[in-house]
Amino acid sequence: MPKQIRMPKLSDTMEEGRLIAWRKKVGDAVKRGEVLAEIETDKADMEFEAYTEGTLAQIVVDAGATVPVGTLIAVLRLPGESEDAVAAAQGATTQPQTPAREPQAPAGQAPATPAQPRAELPPPPPGERVIAHFAADDDRIRATPRARRLAEEKSIDLSEVTGSGPGGSILVADLESYLSQLEGQPPDSEGVRATPLALKMAGERGTDLEAVKGSGPGGRITKSDLLAYWKREHAHSKEREAVMVRGTLQLSQKRKALIRNMVRSKAEAPHFYIQMDVATEALRNLRDALNREAGEKRPRLTYTHLMLKAAALALERHPHVNATYRSEENDIALYDAINIGLAVDVQDELVAPTVKDCQGRTVWQLAEEANSLIQRARMRKLQPADYADGTFTISNLGMFGVDRFYAIITPPQSSILSVSAIAERPVVREGRIEIGQVTTLGLSVDHRVIDGVRAAQFLAEIKRLLEAPRELAQDGHALGS
Amino acid sequence: MDTPSAASALDVRRLGRVPYAEALALQEDLRTRLGTGASGETVLLLEHPDVITFGRSARADSALLGDAELRRDGYEVFRVNRGGDVTWHGPGQLVGYPILDLRRHGADVHRYLRTLEGVLIDALADFAIAAVRRDGYAGVWLDEKRKIASIGVGLRAWRTLHGFALNVDCDLARFRAIVPCGLAGVEMVSMASVLGCPVELEAVAARVAVGLVKAFA
Repeated sequence: MPKQIRMPKLSDTMEEGRLIAWRKKVGDAVKRGEVLAEIETDKADMEFEAYTEGTLAQIVVDAGATVPVGTLIAVLRLPGESEDAVAAAQGATTQPQTPAREPQAPAGQAPATPAQPRAELPPPPPGERVIAHFAADDDRIRATPRARRLAEEKSIDLSEVTGSGPGGSILVADLESYLSQLEGQPPDSEGVRATPLALKMAGERGTDLEAVKGSGPGGRITKSDLLAYWKREHAHSKEREAVMVRGTLQLSQKRKALIRNMVRSKAEAPHFYIQMDVATEALRNLRDALNREAGEKRPRLTYTHLMLKAAALALERHPHVNATYRSEENDIALYDAINIGLAVDVQDELVAPTVKDCQGRTVWQLAEEANSLIQRARMRKLQPADYADGTFTISNLGMFGVDRFYAIITPPQSSILSVSAIAERPVVREGRIEIGQVTTLGLSVDHRVIDGVRAAQFLAEIKRLLEAPRELAQDGHALGS
Repeated sequence: MDTPSAASALDVRRLGRVPYAEALALQEDLRTRLGTGASGETVLLLEHPDVITFGRSARADSALLGDAELRRDGYEVFRVNRGGDVTWHGPGQLVGYPILDLRRHGADVHRYLRTLEGVLIDALADFAIAAVRRDGYAGVWLDEKRKIASIGVGLRAWRTLHGFALNVDCDLARFRAIVPCGLAGVEMVSMASVLGCPVELEAVAARVAVGLVKAFA
């Protein structure tokens, strides 16, 4: 039995391959391991070797063509085999001779009928050679040259025809059955003639076919006509749109990353939000006292530094908040370190450098590191490692007079604290209205990780730490002293 | 066939600037030796002097100048057995030639291409550049239009030749003599042009080497 040589599968994801060149001619002797042809998939060229010895009896697919994996590309005659055996191997049962490599019959003669038994990947019928075409007008439609000629004569849109040949290529028989189907179909009530597929597509998108010019059989509107019409319409609408846009902004890499992260966060993490008012008189007094006491020796403490310390302490006490949901494992991972990102706006660009390993560090240590990160952010000197590995984020819009807001969580973190302006507001204390210094803290939470009660306990912890802030000034873990 | 160490280790060689013909001969020699078991799997990391190479799928109109004109403009010209169209190599571009036996790595050509892309994407991420793959267009891209690294490989009996070229800090004007990869409308960019500052080739080579060892050793 002659050896059928098929387009090899060089990858699990390879669906088709291009025959770059034949290294052997018909009639050439081929030894095992000799290179028969070169095949390309994606951007890899592979030398395709013969696994058996023989004579190259027939080349079915020419150089330059692209065919599906498994397509018969050549036939190798084994030593001692006759030419008739080659024809049999090709499945050419209706013709006794080896089929000629050029189409020899004029158009109109039907090829081998589909009644012939088909293997999973049928060989091409005799007289019709399968070549993949990549013409611009009908991209990637496979058809035999005879079918292609007939389609042109009859104004048939090949994209509407279902092929029954190898790899779905269109045969003359497919065109004939398509035409007979069209003939049985009357024009619609408005006298518009269109192919069934075009009618269906127009219906789906609510396109009025009277505006579309038909180029198919009998002036029928085809799928291609419809696609061309839609493309023109789309171009027109783009032009109209262009008039309304003043200009476009090139996106930086950071902006693109931010867009991706924010969309991902809102799409994947089910957010909920809670807020609490915090009285800040004690916090102000502590800040002023600490700064007076420290003089020039230490960095000037700000509300941001104290918030950072409060968040670090609260996270240490509520480890289930310092956690992330992992979709692949479908579990919740508790972070070891407490790394708090500080959202900073630098010349219209948002960055969140991360203060690493906050647990057990004093407010001055945290302040020093936060200052250094923010300074480097302003000078655009941050390294990727500086904004990596955050486990929680604080976003502060207080300096811009924002009363309350909720930030979007930075994936894969599970919560973010929104800090607003500290302002004088009327507050009720023991039944009396007084003027107090107040800020509103917002907490956005990923419900997959944290439930309402735990979120409330966590935010209440921060509130407590800020309203009775002495703990914030203590050294590390020495809380009992 | 191989000694145990040769089967598990990947020898990454940093060669500096090497003329194209010399590097090609070295690759072919290493591939032959890999086949006979005389040497193990190797990656060559290097730079080329100005050269334009045409893959087996190169179209006639992919070079905007003829060979003679290209040579006059200081390019060497080669036609090689690798996938893909035409490309340029030159100083400031990190070129990598993995000589591997893909049967040890799953015998899957596409997976190999995707792995190479992944190594480069990871290395770029270390320099804060968010690069991506583009469906149907091998290589590493920043978006639909801007390409930062090219890939093209050749296989004989699953043993690889050629590889990738990552634009680190090169003269992008040198791409203008060609239509890179035969894709009109594609803009070649470099790490330096994206980041707006000089980038050390050696620093990038070190990251890429780590990635290759992780992927293939």
